[in-house]
Amino acid sequence: MKGYRNYFMNKLAWFFVTLVAAFILNFILPRLMPGDPVAAIVSRLAQGMSNTTGVQAIYEQYAEQFGTNKPMLEQFFLYMKNIFRGDFGFSFSQYPRTVADVIKSSILWTIALQFPAIIVGWIIGNTLGALAAYRRGTFDKILMPVSIFVSNLPAFGMAIIMLVIFAVTFKWFPTSGGYGFDLIPNFSWRFIWSVIVHYQLPFWSIVLITIGGQAIGMRAMSIYELNADYVKYSRFLGIKDRKIVGYVFRNAMLPQITGLALSIGTMVGGALVAEIIFSYPGLGSTILTAVLGQDYPLISATTLIITLMVLTANFLLEIFYGILDPRIKAAQAD
Amino acid sequence: MGKVMLDVRELTTKYITRFGEDVYAVDHVSLAIEEGRSLGVAGESGCGKSTLALSLMGYYFPPLYYTSGDIIIDDNNISGMDPDEVRKSILGREIAYIPQAALNALNPTQKIIHFIEDVVRAHDPTATKQEIYDMAKGLFESLGLPAEVLQKYAVELSGGMKQRTVIAISVILKPQVLIADEPSSALDVTSQKMVIKMLRNLMDNGYIKAMIFITHELPLLYNVTDDIMVMYAGQIVEKAGAHDAVFDPLHPYSKGLMGSIIVPEEGLRDVKLAAIPGVPPNLKNPPSGCRFAARCKYVRPECRVYSVPLREIGNGRSYRCVISEEELRDIYAREAQENG
Ligand SMILES: Nc1ncnc2c1ncn2[C@@H]1O[C@H](COP(=O)(O)OP(=O)(O)OP(=O)(O)O)[C@@H](O)[C@H]1O
Ligand SMILES: [Mg+2]
Repeated sequence: MKGYRNYFMNKLAWFFVTLVAAFILNFILPRLMPGDPVAAIVSRLAQGMSNTTGVQAIYEQYAEQFGTNKPMLEQFFLYMKNIFRGDFGFSFSQYPRTVADVIKSSILWTIALQFPAIIVGWIIGNTLGALAAYRRGTFDKILMPVSIFVSNLPAFGMAIIMLVIFAVTFKWFPTSGGYGFDLIPNFSWRFIWSVIVHYQLPFWSIVLITIGGQAIGMRAMSIYELNADYVKYSRFLGIKDRKIVGYVFRNAMLPQITGLALSIGTMVGGALVAEIIFSYPGLGSTILTAVLGQDYPLISATTLIITLMVLTANFLLEIFYGILDPRIKAAQAD
Repeated sequence: MGKVMLDVRELTTKYITRFGEDVYAVDHVSLAIEEGRSLGVAGESGCGKSTLALSLMGYYFPPLYYTSGDIIIDDNNISGMDPDEVRKSILGREIAYIPQAALNALNPTQKIIHFIEDVVRAHDPTATKQEIYDMAKGLFESLGLPAEVLQKYAVELSGGMKQRTVIAISVILKPQVLIADEPSSALDVTSQKMVIKMLRNLMDNGYIKAMIFITHELPLLYNVTDDIMVMYAGQIVEKAGAHDAVFDPLHPYSKGLMGSIIVPEEGLRDVKLAAIPGVPPNLKNPPSGCRFAARCKYVRPECRVYSVPLREIGNGRSYRCVISEEELRDIYAREAQENG
């Protein structure tokens, strides 16, 4: 148990270090822009506004909120304080909504779409890869080229293909949105059904992309494990093939968890793009509107939130991995 | 004469490579081991020792294939048997195997006791956890291994402990015959001694009835096994009692393996293998004459043309060479004199 505690403490410490780094970067980057960011932002905003006193009011409010006229260190603490209160200021592009409000209405869509999709894709991909390694033959010969093709497709490419085939050509699924645009969110069956139907295309396009990469990695790991000495030894002790395949799958899966932890950032990036293609009401689409509207507080807050989500997922995966692989405990014990 | 525990007749097996070529790594090998006796198998790397060990199990999977011959274990001829029957009733029960890379022979992510459960249940699905645990604990303790090992993962054990654990697991189903492929090669001297002592113990206490011990160090076998068999390029070139094979080798290859200077007993372990110039032939395309001809100091023109069968010379000895016993001894004696 001591070994695992060491591992856990180590990962926890790194988690905090990366968190702090994320906060600092998120704080510094906009402030590295030449000039007074708040002034720049407000002047941009003001172009669409004729009311000069309104502009002045907004400027003062922001200057106060970001403390741009105070020393850097003080600004940083102010920034941290605001974050922990969930106060990210107003959204420029959707004024008078607050950034927190905009994020609150989109974050659940993203979580509900991406995490199930990545997990389902990971499970299907690993199962297919392991089967390809074990069965070889035709199954392998078909699966591998397809996986390589799919995994090399950019995320938007897959989403567009799905969109064109299933929404435009066959019209089986809607082309965009999280639910019918004529509906108001509530708990009626009609609304829930609409959500389910809208969910399918973005979901499966993320799943497909994930499957490809995972299957390739899992196949290679499984082939390696199938040749391991313990496989031969277990066979010669009369253990059934089915059981041995179980050992092999488990051991080949472990590096795949690390692989998932390493690539989760990229995956979330790809999934955000898929959201944009399908105009799914999640963080991906929010970022797009924020960028188009030069909505600095919203961009800053969404990137921070996404970074935090990825870091947390990564941390949880590593903790999970440590529980599954006894080699971690052994390596950390001494 | 004790009962013959393992009787192998003209066994031939081959690898089929990725490119469809045949590699005959075990070529018409015959051997017999009586109850209570042990056989050492020596030879350079690549001469087919491990392949022989695998072939003797009677359970083949690609790229190794059975070609011909018989394997009779404890009166059962297993060479024609259904593979699933071999798996259930022969593997681990009649004949058990300790792989060459025993340090990697255990699944790194499984506790030792869980692996033992899988081994026992593969043969007896009704065994309960408690029964298996009690049996394993009893066995480990009687072999001088702490029972705590059962609750550990392979990665938590030292090399020597891992090797001894593998040996203990190999005999959990009380096999009659144990084949150990280089069980001590990767270990330091102390662990080597412990492993060899443990194997001797298994024999002396009747846990196993016969043993095959494979090594590339011929001198090592002297203290360990009763008989010795020397392999070269997939064939047996000499069989003899341990003392004869070490101190009076006949085949030029065995002679070469022993080196020319032998200090009896003390220091025997330190005798370096005298490197025999040249390399073994490629088994995809072995020479038609004597396989050792290309490297033999005493080669004669006829050696390159035809090969002689193993020749029995009494006393359980046999060797494979055109040169007669007396002549070989003369040659070796003369050489010894010249070298002082
Ligand atoms: N999977 C394989 N496919 C094809 N040929 C093989 C395979 N494994 C071994 N061989 C060949 O069979 C021959 C015998 O190999 P084997 O492993 O039995 O030798 P060995 O005597 O055990 O050597 P070592 O002392 O290095 O363990 C070698 O020529 C080797 O190249
Ligand atoms: Mg070998």
